[in-house]
Amino acid sequence: MDYIYSILTLTGITMIGVMGTYMVTGLTGQFSFGQAAFMAVGGYVSAMLALRFNLPFPLAAIAGSAAAMLAGLLVGVPTVRLRRDYISLVTFGFGEAIISVLNNSAQLTGGAEGLVNIPKRVDLPLVLGSVIGCLLLVACYKNSKYGRQCLALRSDELAARSMGIDVNRLKLVTFLFASAITGYAGVLYAFYAQYLEPGYFNWTVSAEWLIIVFVGGINSLTGAMVSALILSSLPELLRFASAWRIIIYCVIVLIIINYRPNGIFGDWEISRLWKKSAKGEKA
Amino acid sequence: MNAPDQATPSSGHLEVTGLCKAFGGVQAVNGFSFDAKPGEIVGIIGPNGAGKTTAFNLVTGVYTPDSGSVVLDGVALGGQRQDEIARQGVGRTFQNIRLFKGLNVLENVMTASDPYADYNFLAAVLSLPAKRRSDRQAAEKAREYLDLVGLRGLEDDRPEALPYGLQRKLELARALALRPKVILLDEPAAGLNPSEVREFIDLVKRLHERFNFTIVFIEHRMEVVMNLSHKLFVMSFGKLLASGAPEAVRRNPEVIEAYIGEEE
Amino acid sequence: MLQNIFFGLSLGAVYSLIAVGFALVFNILKFSNFSHGGVMSFTAYAGYYAYIRLFDGHVSSSWMFFAVVTTAAVIGALTAVAIERVGFRRLRRNQAPVIYYFISSITLGILLENIITIFASSNFYSYPVFFSSDNLSLLGTTFSVADVVTLLVSSASLAGLLLVLYRSKLGLAVRTVSFDVNTASLMGIDADRVVMATFAMSGALGGISGVFLGMNYSLYPQLGQLVVKGFIASVIGGLGSITGAVIGALLLGIVEVALIGMVGSGWMPACVFVIMLVFLLVRPRGISGVIVQEKA
Repeated sequence: MDYIYSILTLTGITMIGVMGTYMVTGLTGQFSFGQAAFMAVGGYVSAMLALRFNLPFPLAAIAGSAAAMLAGLLVGVPTVRLRRDYISLVTFGFGEAIISVLNNSAQLTGGAEGLVNIPKRVDLPLVLGSVIGCLLLVACYKNSKYGRQCLALRSDELAARSMGIDVNRLKLVTFLFASAITGYAGVLYAFYAQYLEPGYFNWTVSAEWLIIVFVGGINSLTGAMVSALILSSLPELLRFASAWRIIIYCVIVLIIINYRPNGIFGDWEISRLWKKSAKGEKA
Repeated sequence: MNAPDQATPSSGHLEVTGLCKAFGGVQAVNGFSFDAKPGEIVGIIGPNGAGKTTAFNLVTGVYTPDSGSVVLDGVALGGQRQDEIARQGVGRTFQNIRLFKGLNVLENVMTASDPYADYNFLAAVLSLPAKRRSDRQAAEKAREYLDLVGLRGLEDDRPEALPYGLQRKLELARALALRPKVILLDEPAAGLNPSEVREFIDLVKRLHERFNFTIVFIEHRMEVVMNLSHKLFVMSFGKLLASGAPEAVRRNPEVIEAYIGEEE
Repeated sequence: MLQNIFFGLSLGAVYSLIAVGFALVFNILKFSNFSHGGVMSFTAYAGYYAYIRLFDGHVSSSWMFFAVVTTAAVIGALTAVAIERVGFRRLRRNQAPVIYYFISSITLGILLENIITIFASSNFYSYPVFFSSDNLSLLGTTFSVADVVTLLVSSASLAGLLLVLYRSKLGLAVRTVSFDVNTASLMGIDADRVVMATFAMSGALGGISGVFLGMNYSLYPQLGQLVVKGFIASVIGGLGSITGAVIGALLLGIVEVALIGMVGSGWMPACVFVIMLVFLLVRPRGISGVIVQEKA
């Protein structure tokens, strides 16, 4: 039971991380290879504040997300105006840089041995509540003028600009929002696992999130969430070795990309179910 | 923030003077000038490769002109960003239709009014009443534009699934939602069949009457050019070759010369 | 000082092989090919196995290095061609948007990495010492033989590549396709073949750099992640420009060696990142100054 409980908790945290990736990739069409680094920033900042300054958990959580957002600002400002490839590079570089900083400031962060003795403040109900809360925020964002303009710029930047959309600003806003949410996933992880090490946040985690989003379909938040739920919990339950798990992911992605490029869910959203029924009532 | 719903007759005065742009060694636009008075319908014609689309791209800020000025109602647009220019009331359509694929027909139109939507980030993620009201109004307005171009009932369709002629209309509706003072149409009748062309001419006339905006269009089809334009500019090798009333321009020997070997 | 610069140049030479392999594909298909890293890891291991299974005891030790490099280059070329078939050909047929190429390349990179992890069980192997640890003395400084060979072999490979690109019919076709794949095929160029040839060249370079990386760092499945050095170099040099990539790579090599001297290897990645950010802010077009716009 404990085992399942912990898988569910970690899956929930992954789902929140995937939401960040979904926003950057699914909404603005950019690829973040360092999304996990924002998780590291959120986790480390909140944990260090709690350990060194006895900050209560809610405040530490807010500070962690804010710090991740600040890091997003640092990465986002120079890159949003450039070709999409650059943001992948810069986020990748940022991820490596964060890991190198964490490893090399042992007095503060515990270095490669990790940061230990973080108080346990997170349990399954809190994670589930957070998943639902974050999901609502992201879904509303997608369903607002921000989301519409993001999808427009993802589809055609030039046309989006000529419809008066401030593409760079929108990319930045979305990127910051995504960073904050990913940072919050880091906070949850830190106060659940009670232990942080730099190696946990390397780029393969970011790449795994990207793959998850892609399998579900980059147009569908529902798809991304279902795919996160399945792809991160099922292999754990079946106790696959992680390398095999990733190989299976990769093969799925290759098949999807070649034969069903819109992902399993296409652009279907679960919210259509009640939208449709509402329409039916009107008629 | 809120642009006027209807352009007043005194706005929408576009003056373009001495526009130049070179790509590599090729002088794509070389000192081209034209102007459109408020409420006027202006055609730009010229052989393929004359630089017409590039001129549009310079006016709308896709490219920065090497020299020359673009002035809308006394405000210089040169050097402004593409989206800033658009929000000052310059709408456009594209030669090779560029709709937003991830969005449905209604949302495509809404995106053009979204930059004016009056709610902030917080209202968006919490779906506050202000946001819902604003979005509802935008959708209402967008439906109205779709209605005007004859796309009622297709709100939930995918734009790429529409027939070609309807895609052109959708692009037009999207440009309307920007509430433009000037609207630039790049070969709006390309790829339409003869009956669609006639329908299109009527549509543009109707929209012009209703919104009274300035229209500048690039077109090869003489039927469209002669039926719509109040004034014609002929472009050749990046330069202004001739301008004036459509009939006079059509009889201009220089213009005929430029078109030899080009006319279909 | 001179010694450090030389060490930086030799490191930069390896980076330039990566960067050029990267730039070749970028030139043609206009996306950043991250599967190149997978090719590098894969060939580094392939070279190692070739050494263990085929050459050890059969090839005289002075030729060993060249036997391994050649094998790696050939295997790299084949792998890259296979990657093109599996990952990109169908996308090209469907005229898929660039992001799909991108995702496909990441996926293939990760796939190769994990295949290696499974079969080589993420143990650390290392190449034999091909060159005696003797140093050459010149101008009052000493240079290690390995560095000299690295520099020479890299330069020779790049020179060979340039020869193919600028002096052969195939090279002309490659350069034509890099302007526009669709137009080129209208002009009677077999785009499939040209793309395949480009991947082969890029893969061969990846194979050579894989061996060098394996020699410098010992073998591990994530070795190919050093592809990011090639990407950084391309950014500094200007995406898509081959000369730019080489210059950017040499600069990066020297800067890294200098930084290791100044701040230590632990902090070096963070410093490189900051330098790159500043560079992107100040001169986003890179040294070569060409900017590749996303297709309008």
